Order: sequence, then C-alpha cells, then structure tokens
Amino acid sequence: MRKTFIIIAALLAGFVAVYAEAPQAIIARAAVAKSEKAQGEILTELMGNADESILPLLDAWRKDKLFLFEAPGKPTMVVLLEGTKDSQGTQSAVDIISGKPAGVRLAADDLNAASHSANLRRIMKAVLDLTDLSSANPAKKLGAIAAIGQGQQSEKLPALEKRLAIETDPQAIKALREALALVRLKSPDPAVKLAALKELESLQSLASTDFVKAIIKDATAVKDEALLAAARSALQAVERHRTVVDFGGTMFRSLSLGSILIIVALGLAITFGLMGVINMAHGEMIAIGAYTTYVVQNIFANGLALSPFGFSVSLPGLHATGWWRESYFLFALPLSFLVAAGAGILLERGVIRFLYRRPLESLLATWGVSLLLQQLLRLTFGANNVQVGSPAYLSGNWIVGDILLGWNRVFVIGFATLIVVGVWLVLTRTSVGLLIRSVTQNRQMAACMGVRTERVNMLTFALGSGLAGLAGAFLSQIGNVGPSLGQSYVVDSFMVVVVGGVGDLVGTVISGLGIGSFDQFTQQYSPTVAGALANVPFVGGALQNLAQDSAVFGKILVLCVIILFLQWRPSGLFAARSRSLD
Amino acid sequence: MSPTRITSLFSVGALALASLVSPARAEETVKVGVLHSLSGTMAISETSLRDVLLFTFDEINAKGGVLGKKIEPVVVDGASNWPLFAEKAKQLLEQDKVAVTFGCWTSVSRKSVLPVYEKNNGLLFYPVQYEGEEESKNVAYTAEAVNQQATPAVDYLLAQGVKKFYLLGSDYVYPQTTNLVLLEYLLSKGVPIENIGGGFRKDASGKIISAGKYTPFGHTDYQQIVAEIKQFSAGGGAAVVSTLNGDTNVPFFKEYAASGLTAESCPVVSFSISEDEFRGLPADKLVGQLGCWTYFQTIKSPANKKFVTDFQAWLGKSTVPGIVKDGRVTCSPMVLSYDGVYLWKACVEKAGSFDVDKVREAWKSGVSFDGPGGKVTTQPNMHLTKNVFIGETKADGQFKILKSFDNVYGEPWLKGKFTK
Repeated sequence: MRKTFIIIAALLAGFVAVYAEAPQAIIARAAVAKSEKAQGEILTELMGNADESILPLLDAWRKDKLFLFEAPGKPTMVVLLEGTKDSQGTQSAVDIISGKPAGVRLAADDLNAASHSANLRRIMKAVLDLTDLSSANPAKKLGAIAAIGQGQQSEKLPALEKRLAIETDPQAIKALREALALVRLKSPDPAVKLAALKELESLQSLASTDFVKAIIKDATAVKDEALLAAARSALQAVERHRTVVDFGGTMFRSLSLGSILIIVALGLAITFGLMGVINMAHGEMIAIGAYTTYVVQNIFANGLALSPFGFSVSLPGLHATGWWRESYFLFALPLSFLVAAGAGILLERGVIRFLYRRPLESLLATWGVSLLLQQLLRLTFGANNVQVGSPAYLSGNWIVGDILLGWNRVFVIGFATLIVVGVWLVLTRTSVGLLIRSVTQNRQMAACMGVRTERVNMLTFALGSGLAGLAGAFLSQIGNVGPSLGQSYVVDSFMVVVVGGVGDLVGTVISGLGIGSFDQFTQQYSPTVAGALANVPFVGGALQNLAQDSAVFGKILVLCVIILFLQWRPSGLFAARSRSLD
Repeated sequence: MSPTRITSLFSVGALALASLVSPARAEETVKVGVLHSLSGTMAISETSLRDVLLFTFDEINAKGGVLGKKIEPVVVDGASNWPLFAEKAKQLLEQDKVAVTFGCWTSVSRKSVLPVYEKNNGLLFYPVQYEGEEESKNVAYTAEAVNQQATPAVDYLLAQGVKKFYLLGSDYVYPQTTNLVLLEYLLSKGVPIENIGGGFRKDASGKIISAGKYTPFGHTDYQQIVAEIKQFSAGGGAAVVSTLNGDTNVPFFKEYAASGLTAESCPVVSFSISEDEFRGLPADKLVGQLGCWTYFQTIKSPANKKFVTDFQAWLGKSTVPGIVKDGRVTCSPMVLSYDGVYLWKACVEKAGSFDVDKVREAWKSGVSFDGPGGKVTTQPNMHLTKNVFIGETKADGQFKILKSFDNVYGEPWLKGKFTK
C-alpha cells in the first residue's frame, strides 16, 4: 500500500514537474544535454508548450548566441550576453531560466555556444511552426503550414483546423487545406483517406505527388481497389496541373531570358546595327556597367579601397543602412549608363572614328581594346569575381497558380520593355533620333544637309555603349561580376543582332525573344522527347543522351537553328537597306 | 659618371651577387617541383596551393630541411593548359631532376601528366578531391577519395532524414564519375531510383552511364534547373548534391535564393566550395548550406591554430611577387598539400633516401603525420586515411563543423562496389 502510494506520488511529481517546467527551463535543459539526440527529444517537449517568449531564445541558439557558462563546482548555466561590451569584450550574463542577470560579466569569445545541427534546427522549426501558424509574415506562415503537412503528424490536426476556421488569406487557406489533406492521408480510417485524396485532387496539389504515389504503392500491395482508383485519379489531376505549370513557367522563363538577351544586345543593335561598327568591345562596356554597380554598392556601404597600377585609391562610404542602402541599385542604373556612355565616347573619339567604313580594321582594333579593358579591370578590381548583392526588392518571388515569378526576373522583363520603348521613342520622336537615323541611312547626304555627322556618330556610339552599361547593371543581379564578364555575353549579343537583322530594333526584340524562348523550351521539353529520339537511325542513342543534358542541348540546338536560318535569310529577320552598310 | 666609378659599381654588384649565391651553393639542397596553374582560369584556386607549399618548404628549411638538405623549390606554371602540364612535368623530371613534385588541381591535368610520371618513375603528390577509379604507383593521392567526401556527406543527409537527392554538377570527369558512384551508393542504401533527380543517360543496353544534371563551365541561366529542383523538393525531405565548379555557383545560388528555396527546405551540399572558393562567392547567400572536407579552418586544435597563424605570418612577410596577402584563408586542398610535404619528408627519413622507389616503400608501409586536420596515415594503395568533417557555411565564409568521421580509409575503386 505504502509502496503504491510512493509510486503514485513519484508519478504525480514527475507529471507536475514536466507540466510546470517553464519553456525556458526546457530550453536550458536541452542546451546542456549531452547528445544531439537527447537535445532533440527535450526540445520536442516544447511542442504545444511554447509561447512567444521562447522565440528570442531559440533565435539566439540558432545564431550561436546562447552560451554555456561553466563555473567550477556548479551545474552549467545557460546564459545570454546583454548590454554593451567593455574594454575586455565582456558583457553582462543573463540566466535564461530566471531571465535575471547572473551577476557575472563574460566575454563571448571565452564561452562555448550551445551546439545545433540542421536536424535540431528542424525540431526548433517544428516548435516554432506552431507559433508561426499565426505569424503576420505570410511567407513564414505558408512555410509553417507546408512543414506541418509534410510532417503528416496527426496530433497537429487540431492546430490546423483551428487556423483554417479563422484564416482569411486565400493562399493560406489553400495551403491549410492541402496540409490537412496530407496529414489525413495517414489516417487509419479509409473514408477519411478517400476524402483527403478527393481534396488533393480538387486542389491539384503539386506537393502531394510523392505522398499520393506512396499511397498507390501501398494500395497496390494490399489490393485496395477503391483507394487505388481515388489515388490514381488524384495523381492524374496533379500531373495535368503540372503540365500547365510547366508550360506557364517555361513561357515566363522564355520571356525573362529573352529580355536579358534584348537588354544585352540593344546597345550592339545601335553600334553594330545602325552604325555598322563591329564593336568587339561591347562586352567590356557591359562589364563596365556591372563594375559601376559594384562601386556604387560599396559607396553606399563602407567604401572601397582599390589599387590600380600600384596606386591606392580609397573611396569613402556613406555607411547607409536599411532601405537607403538597398536603394543603391536605383542610383547604380543611371550611373552605369553614364559611365559606360563616357567610355563609349572615349572609344569612339580615340579609335573608332578613324575606322568607319573599314569593318575589318574596326573588328581587330575593338578586339584589342576589349583585351585592354579586361586587363584594366583586372588590375583595378583584381582577378577574382566581385560581390554584388541583390537588394531585398529584387530577391523575392510571387507564386501565381504554382508558377514561380522571381522579382528579379519580373524586373528584368519590365525594364527591358521600358528601355526598348525608351530607345524607340528617342530614335523616332526626338530631333537627336532624327539626326541619328539620317546619318546611319546616308552619311554624305546628311552631311550635305548640314548635319554634324562627327558629333552624331559620337552620340550614337555613346547611346549604344550606355545601353550596354545598363545591361551590365542588370547582369550583376543574376550572375558573376568579373573581368571576363563581357566575353560570355558578346557572342550572344552578336547572335541576337545578326538574327534580328542588322539595322532594325524590332528585329533585335523579336530575335531576342525568339532565341530565349527556343532555348528555354528545348531545356524544358527535350528530356520528354528524348525517348522518341532513340529511334533516329545511327545517332539515336547519342541524341537521346544529349537531350537529357538539356542545358547543353538547348545551346547546341539554338546555334544549329541559327546557322540554318541564316542560310535561308542571310541578312536576318528584318533586313534594312542603307548606304552605310553597302 | 667616370669609367672608374662604373667599374667599381660593377665590382660591388658582382660581390653582392656572389655573396647572395654562394651560401646556396655551399649548402646541399634537394630539388622539389611545384606544378600548379599560376595563370588562366584555375589560377585563382591553384595559386593558393603554391603559396602554402612555399610556406611549408620555408618551415621545414628553418628546422634543418630533409635528411640535412634544404628544399629548393622549382616552381613551374601549368597555365590552366592541360597539354602544357605534361610538358612542364617532363621538364621537372628530365631537366631539373626533382625528387618529388607537388601539383595539379583538375583531374584532367592529373591525367595529362600521369604518363610522364610513369615513364620517368617520378612521384607526384596530388592534393585535391577527385573521382577515384585510379591508382598509380607514381602518384601519392593525399586528395579526398569519393568515400572521404561524397559518401560521408550522403550518409549525413540520410541520417538527417533526407529521402530525395538531386544530383547537379559541372560537365567534366569528376562530377560525372562521382555522381555515378553516388547513384550506386544511394540505391544500395535503399533510396528508390525515382527519388534521385537530375535525369539519367543510358547506353544501348539500357545500363545507366551518367546520372544527374550537368551544365557547362561558365553557364549562367539556372532558371529551368532551379524550377525543376523546386518541384522536386515540393514534398519535403529533399537535398541537392552539387559538384558545380567555380563561379557557376553564383548564378545558381542567386536563382536558388530568388525561388524561395532555403537550407531548411532543401539543403545543398557542395563538394567544390571550400573556404578559399568563398573569397569569390556571395557567402551570405550560402548560409546553412553544407560542405564536406577533411579539413576546415574552424577546427579547434592547437595544430590548426599554429598552422593558420604561421601561414598568415609567413604571408605577411612573404616577398613572392604578386602574392595576395589580404583576406587569405586556409582550406582542405591547402592542408592536404601541407600534409603531403610532411608525409614525403617522413617517408624520405624513414627510407633514408630520396630515391622514389624507396620513398614509395616507406609510404606503403604506413607513415603518419599529425596535421592541422588531425592525423593522416599513408596506405598501401597510395591513398590516405584521414578524418572527414561535415560543415555548415556561415555568413563569414567559414564552416561550422556539424559532424566528423574519424580515420576514414581512402578507397579509390568504388564503381560497382555498392551494387549487389
């Protein structure tokens, strides 16, 4: 009797102890636990027992700011360091259990931070997910909902249901329904399972593919015909939806690649297309724009120290923060145009004006200039690539009907439209444009009419180079910025201009979009047609394997098609006739 | 200036020259070759290895050299040009008669010099992670074999609950071979083939000859691949195994970040990004992604602390022309170069001779060195037993160590090993 009493008392005490334990104490216990596994198990206790107060603690843990303080002869204390650092780098230690200062000052460098791994962070995330369900940040909320759905833990159903009842955001409602259905797939009740599959079918949930496939496998094994039929029909609906999403996504990606090609080639369409200068240094004008963006970025941050030719030049920084700092890109755009246009004027005055009507010489001379400029960039900024960060407004995305629209890509498309329209307006609606057109169409006649062709040439070349600079500012947002940046784009630029037809901007736009789409569609669909390619005699196997390497295949096919196209129309899509090209 | 003054200047100059040259003549030296690309695309990575080798030679020479002889480095430039590597190797072996060579980074450069070393019975120390399927008696592979990098990383991911793997790489021999081994390994671990992403290429009999998605060097458009990864990981439990090389990582990770993928939802483990590569990558975009090497600069050990501080100090006062002094870090290929020199020294001392055959016998008998990344031991198959670490990238371009595997035996022949 007495024994039973003791056991009950002990159990009760344990029961009370677990439930009375504050979340802070659980975190402290987990932080000092010996193994990663034990840490995970202790943290799991937080589920359902967590309130907002643990957020900063888990956050500190993830950022290595939760420290273990081992005083001799005492149990390890888990502390946060607060307040300002003094001369020895110490800060006031705060015991996380009591939330009160521990009465010692410690330096972060002397302490071990509580360890964590990806697995442990996943558990922390699971704990936070339940608090995140009501987060004001939509991305966080959606992430939390998806994580619960993928976890398929039935004990989290009530939390989801509660949230669904009060949720108003349509995207979150869809995510909640999807997550609920995914969790219910694990239900032992066949009716619930069938209902969940019906729900997934109506939601056309891409995320459910693997889970539905697993159901099909199980159902085939146990010969559950009803379940199998429901799962198959759900999978079909999802796959149908996937083809739509793939197509829409490919369209968007085509548009975005096409826009990049247009932006890159537009400058060349003017210098090569209108003026007839084979400008091999076009790529370096792009690189100059990209480096300008880099310099502007650093001026908005902490300044920049450069050492061209052994001189040391240091540019002061504005030490801007927040939105002000992020806005550097908006300043970099016009500046990259101006700097590249300036470089273009120098190039035109210094080299090209002596070489009009001598295309071969201008090709060689500008190629030399291109090597010179590359080395100049290398000497000034170093041989390594430099870092250009993406501002927050260019690094998010929208998801429209499961199609991913990256902000940087949307921006590129919008911007390409803007500059194409802008250049078109300049050329057709301004007096400068009139002069440019007259000189490019017939230099002698324009000169006879009193046009200062020399100056117009200079301006035209500056416009073309400036546009290349703008392209560089953009490319810094999607790729590498290095001394040889220009080389990787100059071929693409010539390709677009030649296909489009020398001398017409419309041609450049259409050929840019065309080449972009062709490349993206080949990338997307070549693996699907790979099977059919196997039947081609002799080279079938090789073609099939090549088609699997869609990134390479796309490029090869584009080049082949362009070669064939130019056999058919040697002067491109839109052939302009003008004296300067004869 | 009068003729007499010119003559006197000359004689002073000659005296100075003589005084510079004579001590080197007086002491006995042993010639050691350094064969790396100091120009061209690979220069960014390989120059660091030359630097660390010169540092190691200075460190050893300061303590009396090898068998009482000072090391005299013969540095040649492979210029990222693979046939040139073979010519330079020939020059090192036949003209300079070096006792040993430390060099090569890319697998294609190693394949290019291999016949030269086999013909002349030379000895090449090769320090960079590679695809295996090779075992020459003329190469000491201090490099990570596939089972010292790729398979431990996959083991770690499997233990973390990852169920789906997307294989992505640059299109050349190392990623292709590594991914084929990984495919066999994953299948042997019970991962179904439909959970391995990136596509397969088959030969006429239907046998898989290549697995994963490949992009050329300098590829910039990762939109479609990232969209594919996004769908691949939509159901959770997915990871990307990346053997993308060099700066193609920048457009890839920029696209990856813009698509809303994160290290929590779909981690990327990269085999070609070490601390040194981070100097040219946006580290803040890669926080939380994984790396697997036999050394990280963040290893907390006295040996590593000494190595890092000594190397930095050496850089500070180095007079090597054009050497980069700012922002330098240490990484696994550098440490394996460093370990290689000390292992060669230990083998030479054990053999009591610089003769390649005797040094090789010493290597095969098992020699150990306590390096910055822990103890390394030579094996009869010309590879090394070493520790392997899994790390997670931090915003400062360093790795936080998550897990370590001790004394992993280097195994070059893995193809077909895991298939039942």
